[in-house]
Amino acid sequence: MAIRTKHDPQSYTFAGFGSEKYPNLMLRGAGDLNNWTLDVYEQKHEGYVAMKQALKMEPVAVTEEVKTSGIRGRGGAGFPAGLKWSFMPKDTPERKITRYLVINGDEGEPGTFKDRAILEYNPHQLIEGCIIASYAMQANTCYVYIRGEFLWLIEKLELAIEQARAKGYLGKNILGSGFDLDIIVHRGAGAYICGEETALLNSLEGRRGEPRVKPPFPAAKGAFGQPTTINNVETIAAVPPIIRMGGAEYAKLGTTKNSGTRIFCISGHVKRPGLYELPLGLPLDFILNELAGGSSTGKKIKAVIPGGASAPVFSEAEFSTPMDFDSVRNAGSMAGSGGVIVLDEDTCMVQACLRLIRFYAHESCGQCTPCREGCNWMEMILHRIEHGEGTLEDLDVLASLTPRIAGRTLCALGDAACGPMESMLKKFRHEFEHHVTHKTCYVKGHELLAKVGAH
Amino acid sequence: MVRLLLNGTPVDAPEGATLLQALRAHGLNVPTLCHDARMQPASACRLCEVEVDGQERPLCACATPVAEGMSVHTHGEALEGYRKGLIEMLARRYPGEIPALDPDHPFHRLLLHYQVPATGPWVPSKLDESHPYLRLDMNRCVDCYRCVHICEEVQGHSIWKVVGRGAEAHVEPGDAGRLLDSPCVSCGACADTCPTGAIQDWARYRHGTPITWTRSVCSYCGTGCELEIGSTSDRLVDIRPAQDAPVNRGHLCVKGRFGLGFNDAEDRVTSPMVRRGGEWEAVTWDEALDEAAALLLRVKEAHGPTAIGVLGSSRGTNEEAFLTQKLARVGLGTGNVDCCARVCHAPSAAGLGLALGTGAATNSFADIDLAALVMVVGANPTENHPIVGLRIKHRALKGMPLIVIDPRRTELAELATVHLRPRPGTNIPLFQALAHVIVNEGLYDHPFVAARTEGFEAYLASLQEWAPERAAATCGVDADDIRKAARLYATTGPAYMCNGLGVTEQVQGSDGILALVHLALLTGNLGKPGSGVNPLRGQNNVQGCAQMGCEPKRLTGYQPYDQVIAKHEALWGPLPPPGLDLLEMLDAAGEGRLRAMLVFGYDLYLTTANAHRTAAALAQLEGMVVVDLFMTETAKAFGTVFLPAASTFEKEGTFMNGERRVQRVRAAIAPRGQSRSDLDILLELAKRLGVGDQFQYHSPEDVWNEVRKLWTAVAGVAYHRLEHPGGLQWPCPDELHPGTSILHAKTFPVGDRAQFRPIAFHPSAEVVDEAFPFLLNTGRSLQHFNAGTMTVRTENTKLTRDDVLELNPADAAALGVLDDEEVTVESHHGAFQAHAHLTDRVRPGEPFGIFHSAKAFVNRAMGPGRDPKTHTPEFKRTAVRIRKMVQA
Repeated sequence: MAIRTKHDPQSYTFAGFGSEKYPNLMLRGAGDLNNWTLDVYEQKHEGYVAMKQALKMEPVAVTEEVKTSGIRGRGGAGFPAGLKWSFMPKDTPERKITRYLVINGDEGEPGTFKDRAILEYNPHQLIEGCIIASYAMQANTCYVYIRGEFLWLIEKLELAIEQARAKGYLGKNILGSGFDLDIIVHRGAGAYICGEETALLNSLEGRRGEPRVKPPFPAAKGAFGQPTTINNVETIAAVPPIIRMGGAEYAKLGTTKNSGTRIFCISGHVKRPGLYELPLGLPLDFILNELAGGSSTGKKIKAVIPGGASAPVFSEAEFSTPMDFDSVRNAGSMAGSGGVIVLDEDTCMVQACLRLIRFYAHESCGQCTPCREGCNWMEMILHRIEHGEGTLEDLDVLASLTPRIAGRTLCALGDAACGPMESMLKKFRHEFEHHVTHKTCYVKGHELLAKVGAH
Repeated sequence: MVRLLLNGTPVDAPEGATLLQALRAHGLNVPTLCHDARMQPASACRLCEVEVDGQERPLCACATPVAEGMSVHTHGEALEGYRKGLIEMLARRYPGEIPALDPDHPFHRLLLHYQVPATGPWVPSKLDESHPYLRLDMNRCVDCYRCVHICEEVQGHSIWKVVGRGAEAHVEPGDAGRLLDSPCVSCGACADTCPTGAIQDWARYRHGTPITWTRSVCSYCGTGCELEIGSTSDRLVDIRPAQDAPVNRGHLCVKGRFGLGFNDAEDRVTSPMVRRGGEWEAVTWDEALDEAAALLLRVKEAHGPTAIGVLGSSRGTNEEAFLTQKLARVGLGTGNVDCCARVCHAPSAAGLGLALGTGAATNSFADIDLAALVMVVGANPTENHPIVGLRIKHRALKGMPLIVIDPRRTELAELATVHLRPRPGTNIPLFQALAHVIVNEGLYDHPFVAARTEGFEAYLASLQEWAPERAAATCGVDADDIRKAARLYATTGPAYMCNGLGVTEQVQGSDGILALVHLALLTGNLGKPGSGVNPLRGQNNVQGCAQMGCEPKRLTGYQPYDQVIAKHEALWGPLPPPGLDLLEMLDAAGEGRLRAMLVFGYDLYLTTANAHRTAAALAQLEGMVVVDLFMTETAKAFGTVFLPAASTFEKEGTFMNGERRVQRVRAAIAPRGQSRSDLDILLELAKRLGVGDQFQYHSPEDVWNEVRKLWTAVAGVAYHRLEHPGGLQWPCPDELHPGTSILHAKTFPVGDRAQFRPIAFHPSAEVVDEAFPFLLNTGRSLQHFNAGTMTVRTENTKLTRDDVLELNPADAAALGVLDDEEVTVESHHGAFQAHAHLTDRVRPGEPFGIFHSAKAFVNRAMGPGRDPKTHTPEFKRTAVRIRKMVQA
């Protein structure tokens, strides 16, 4: 199944979708706006079967099953989820610990739009995942932090939670298991940084969304000072199928160390942009050409951002990279959030770079000097270059800024800005130089503002 | 200890230290902008990044713990280049002309060090000059957010907020726009930590960096915060908190930090004066001293020594207080010597002394950090003892259970687990009901009661009349809340209790303290860390003044006559018998038995209840010698000789804080004009009273050494031992003794067992009726101190209105009074005017008057009620009526 973001008169089907080869684990029933209800979920999609199964298991065994599945976090960092769960401290005879599970639904990475589809079509699968994960970690409160702009999805999720509660799947003593859980939906307020897990925790606590100094890591001291695990919506939505089919079976999907399916969000210059749930490890060019239909403009595809806006850009040489965490990293980028942005050869890389850096400069929380000042500085220089006022020294300053920012901030936002900046300048330096020396756009040939005297 | 290599040199560092601490300890100066040792590391400016072998990327030294075998490189070319790069990033937007104007600030030194020119603009819109003490120039802000963090983490206020994101992120004072309009409490911590001068003291802005720093002790409340006093060519410029002080840990409140303006106030009297023909006339010191001595000798000759009363100053040093009582007893032969402890914590000293044997706090402020629960009774420490209040606040914010007993909803009450709001004057039923629950529910500490107390049975019987329901009706408190508080206090140990004047300034003041001591005895909350009964003392040296013997029934060390008179007489010769306390002196003056007074630093007219009666009594004196900095209300109305005194900033000696801590006071500047220290004045008076040979002292230390001879508890407190931060806490009987932070660990000075005593409740005579329907309570505010003598002469007056009556909006509505409207408050005894401040932190029917203001003169309305044991007046309960000034 592919969820289309644009209406396509030549309706697209692919024999592999939904098959054993390319199973839909998280997007079951997606596309049907009535799919979200508890009845549909239970009747058509084996809803809450995994939960009932898990509640009969030892909590540790649930975590073990997830470890066996090999699933890696779908939020961006790709950290093994089961391992993360096992970091949560256990109760001792002397001390009973309050633990929290926090779901990161602050989907804000440019080019990424998968969590919203899960919330739209399969909110109960997320709820079921929350119950299983909370049970595994023995957390009695689960917070779902959702991007504030998804107001209708928040309302939908809250309705779904009510349905689950009415059915006895939430609340005290769930189905007689002795396990209590409440899910609290928290609405974000439109800051990209709150997708960073510790900034999210601060925001959840009612503080300014600023990343925290680590250590302490959330597993030691997270929400409200208590041990906390933070997982992405997609990761948790994958948990019910993992329990249902068994970790070992799930691990057979995808490739070794990169198991399972994930939802790729394909946008830009392709014929069939949209959401594609695919096993990890399919080559990028296969996905682009065979599934997404190739270039939509008839022009050559020049560059692809393979894992959300923060990922360093791929040029043609890397198009055959298998789309899994390790392969993409080895190719010099990151699989990140699964957002694949396709740029054809008519795209001005200076302009694209400015757009991206402007985003990061705006979304920096302002806490760390390198990120706050550096992103702003990069944006100002790029603005000059884009408007024909750049100098060759500017290019040197740009190159000197990324090592002053990347890896030298409390969170990864600085790195995120440097990923596209560094790679675009390196791989498409001629476009930047052309802007500086010719005062015209390399791609489009038009004169830049400074030359036409428009400022 | 762990061993690490710093730039190749092996060094040891304590486990748990941060790398930055280790680097600094070994003289390696790694620059920082966002770091302040008082706060959690922020790791945001990244200047302290260092290279650690085996680590892929440099680490922030401020947030990296030291580890065995770590090899660290701090100043390699790459790192220094990176640091310069960071400074360049900040310099882009930093105003170019500022660094040269003000080169001392840390960021400006970094610009110079790394040779980076600042190239940003300066815009006037980022200037905020609204606040009297802090000048804000946000053009200089480099977004280190130290102000934000120190306000939250140290002051617990969160006035400073980060607004916006990215390069537009900037700090703002609250939502108000201007700092003055924000709820800022003006502690000055933000200016203290700011590395650029974006937030800076006006004093520093106007006068530059002080040249000399003198370590001393704050002269406001009894917390005993240590200060660094900055001065330049004999001018007071700045006060900063001492970073290593155990009491205040690098922090101060608005009074201590900024309240120095009085020292050079225009109306400070710096020349001796004598009143002739009703007018004050400046005279020479000799004339004034002769006149003072002549008055005292004349009265002594004509009416006997008991016709003279002497009041010591709890603002002066221990040495001065000691000489004051010695002059009274040896020089004038009178036992009529007292101090202002009479009107505040005399019941605490008496109650604790009676029950346990030592009339002082049983524990220390540090115990707040060790307590499992804090109970604050009749005290508002976040305003009146802000540094102590903050410690409690920080614990409460982190989840420690807190019980507050106060009629008003104070800042701490808002954070309390249980807030009990008794009607003023109903403490005894409430405290007894708490004990009733603890005893009847079997929650008391059986082993402690059995081993260390006596009289339990009789006490138990006396409690039975105060079942929670009955107390609830009397106190206006919910019975279940009484139970909840009692259970919490009894079962959450150790429990630290502190009390203020809400307990003592009642007609049942001493009994109130006894009842509190009983609660601690019942629950075993004595003699161990995190527990105790701890009066929060009002003035800087009120503990010391009474302890030095400015106390009619006690001698040096607050020791009973019978126990130490022989020791004293051996040194001083025969002594007069115990004399009159302050209230008795006023009674005697009214009856013509007391004819002259010698008053050191004490505005007794303004601050004693029932002012009309005080005035009538003092008016009958033949003369009064006033030693003070200012023409106080007392001096203005009744003084005949005025001797100008040196301030705390201008003299040497010691203060004793509310936790029995003796700390050194040092002169930062010379006395203004002709003023002299009380100590000099006392020696001169002694000479003229013919006892000069008994007052042969060459220094304050000489005087203190005599105290050490007469009072064993401080025998080990030698001056040279007071050089380190925090001084020493008595008992400290010999020079090897480390001092005592917790009293009564094994026994009590009264013996192995402390005595429970049945307590009867004698209600106040102040009763509301149709004519006087309100119960007026009184007290202080954050910005002003006691009589206001000092603070009304500082710019604190710009922070808040002077004469305030807190009034519940419902009362105001019934009276037709608007916020900030002037009202008249009348009692059976007198009236005063004040501006109504409408707030629901007071209950309907229970207005609260701020008493420091001479303009309002709240004590005109206070009645004659007194605690029968200590004569402490009933400041906390007066039946009044309130009228609008202008009838509509």
